[in-house]
Amino acid sequence: MMKRLLVTLTIATLAMTLTARAEDKPAKVTVGYLNLVNAQLVTKHLGLLAKEMPGVEIKYVKVGGGGDMLRAIAGNDVDFGGLGNPPTAIGATRALPIKGILVINLLDYVESMVVRTDKNITSLKDLKGKTVAAPFGSTTHYLLLQALKDEGVEPSSMKILDLAPSDIAAAWLRGDIDAAWFWEPNLDKAVKNGGRILITSGDMTKRGYPTWDIGVVMNAFAEKYPSYVEKFIKAECEGIDFWLKNPDKTAEIIAEELSLPLADATRMMKGTGMVPCNKQLTDEYLGTSAKKGKFVDTLVSTADFLVKQERLPKLLPRSDFEAFIQPAYIEKVIGR
Amino acid sequence: MSVEASPMAVPISPGRVNNVRLRLPAIPRSFLLSSLTVAMLLAAWIVVTQMGWANELFLPKPQAVWAAFVKTMTKGYQGATLLQHLGASLYRILVAFALACLIGIPLGVLMGVSRSSRALLNPLIEFYRPLPPLGLYTLLVMWLGIGESSKLSLLFLAGLPGIVISTIQAVTSVDPVYVRAAQSLGAGRRELLFHVYLPAAGPLILAGMRISLGFTYTVLVAAEIVAASAGIGWMIWDAAKFLLSDVVIMGLIVLGLTGVVLDLIMRGIAKALMPWA
Repeated sequence: MMKRLLVTLTIATLAMTLTARAEDKPAKVTVGYLNLVNAQLVTKHLGLLAKEMPGVEIKYVKVGGGGDMLRAIAGNDVDFGGLGNPPTAIGATRALPIKGILVINLLDYVESMVVRTDKNITSLKDLKGKTVAAPFGSTTHYLLLQALKDEGVEPSSMKILDLAPSDIAAAWLRGDIDAAWFWEPNLDKAVKNGGRILITSGDMTKRGYPTWDIGVVMNAFAEKYPSYVEKFIKAECEGIDFWLKNPDKTAEIIAEELSLPLADATRMMKGTGMVPCNKQLTDEYLGTSAKKGKFVDTLVSTADFLVKQERLPKLLPRSDFEAFIQPAYIEKVIGR
Repeated sequence: MSVEASPMAVPISPGRVNNVRLRLPAIPRSFLLSSLTVAMLLAAWIVVTQMGWANELFLPKPQAVWAAFVKTMTKGYQGATLLQHLGASLYRILVAFALACLIGIPLGVLMGVSRSSRALLNPLIEFYRPLPPLGLYTLLVMWLGIGESSKLSLLFLAGLPGIVISTIQAVTSVDPVYVRAAQSLGAGRRELLFHVYLPAAGPLILAGMRISLGFTYTVLVAAEIVAASAGIGWMIWDAAKFLLSDVVIMGLIVLGLTGVVLDLIMRGIAKALMPWA
């Protein structure tokens, strides 16, 4: 009798410990997503993350740009976030506790430089003496300065203003600025109101300056809940697959999420590159844990550029950027 | 920081207005105590950073902040030296504050002496006074654009209500006996204003100006967020984007010290203009 009781008790304790271990999951997962067009909107709209993480409260926070995302990460306000390569280079250099785990999008003409049609701006040289806006610290600010440098145009020969994308749209409508390099959905407002695209971020990719956004996870979260990082990637990969397989439905979702006309959403989708998860491990993108891919090169050259701009104190060794890119989770998800 | 009690805290009874009150020089003891606070803070900062208790990203070492200061003074931050940034900010603050005084004081006097004008204008002042500056700013940018005028307007609007309200209070608290005495001696409206109301209400008006300058100062960073390319507020905002916390903290210290200096200047002006206060 006594023995049976003991056995029962042991089993009960064991069972409780086991369930307690199984219950070891976050109460809440906060995803900071950038206000731009990518498959994260699909994942969010279809509730794919909630499906992967039953019983976990999922909170989505819309973040205006890379600078705000860096602050959110520094303030520990998100578990997962997304960053363009310049903010990523900043975050990695300043040793923010994050790892890059997933390519969330490549930037093509969804980010472009718009110029006022009636100002006769046909090349970057015509920007001299004009007022140009870009959100400082973002991919487009980086490309603007990079493009000016390549064409030998002094940035000090024009007035370059730091404005958030929504403020650029407002300032454009008022006629305060002559050119701006920023992104959809606000970009379109400028184009439709006397604007013309001069150069796109895709053009800059061809010149050797690719820009992209990478999904990041907070180190503390990844250490505590590694399986939930995989669940996150799984959900995002599903979103990416959906994007690639159902472009029409995706456009509808994006139109709804961003309150845009369907035609606009379709165009923005086409201007954004999406990388299927099994391709992300190729050398072109993240690479593998054993051999990291070209994203490291982009980060090193972006950081180097920012150091020359005196926005970063020093260029870290390549190994630091290699350590930031962490394909291990996605490797597990696609079973490699 | 403030060694003597703020004049706002002690309502000046009209009976004392004409008494010449000697201000005691600052007591060394209180100065010592204030220095102690500063020294303690600095020591805590050094200890926390030296022991590695704080992430350097969030709280850089005092040396790093000093280095940022020296570098910004000599080489500058993004195309302007620290003094140029400070100059841009001070220009904005002082222009906006001067405008707020030029409009606020006459408005306050008018509302103080005339009940009907007070009733007419009060809803406006009372309505926008508690509005948060950033909420106002969005609208100001849409109306006035991203240039200097929207920044100046925001600072102006932040400073105005403090001046208006304290001027009203100052004028209404003038002892009616003075007014009647002056009137019985044959004083007209002009004499009443310049020889009775303004001298009697002066100290309270100045106190209101000091407070209002403080308000103007607190919205500086907000005003310089949108489309500025110089200014201490902009420098702090921009550095934060690139996680340059040494520049951020250096900027905040410069802002704080400049604020103290501005306040001291205001007090000096008050003493020089109204020794009877």
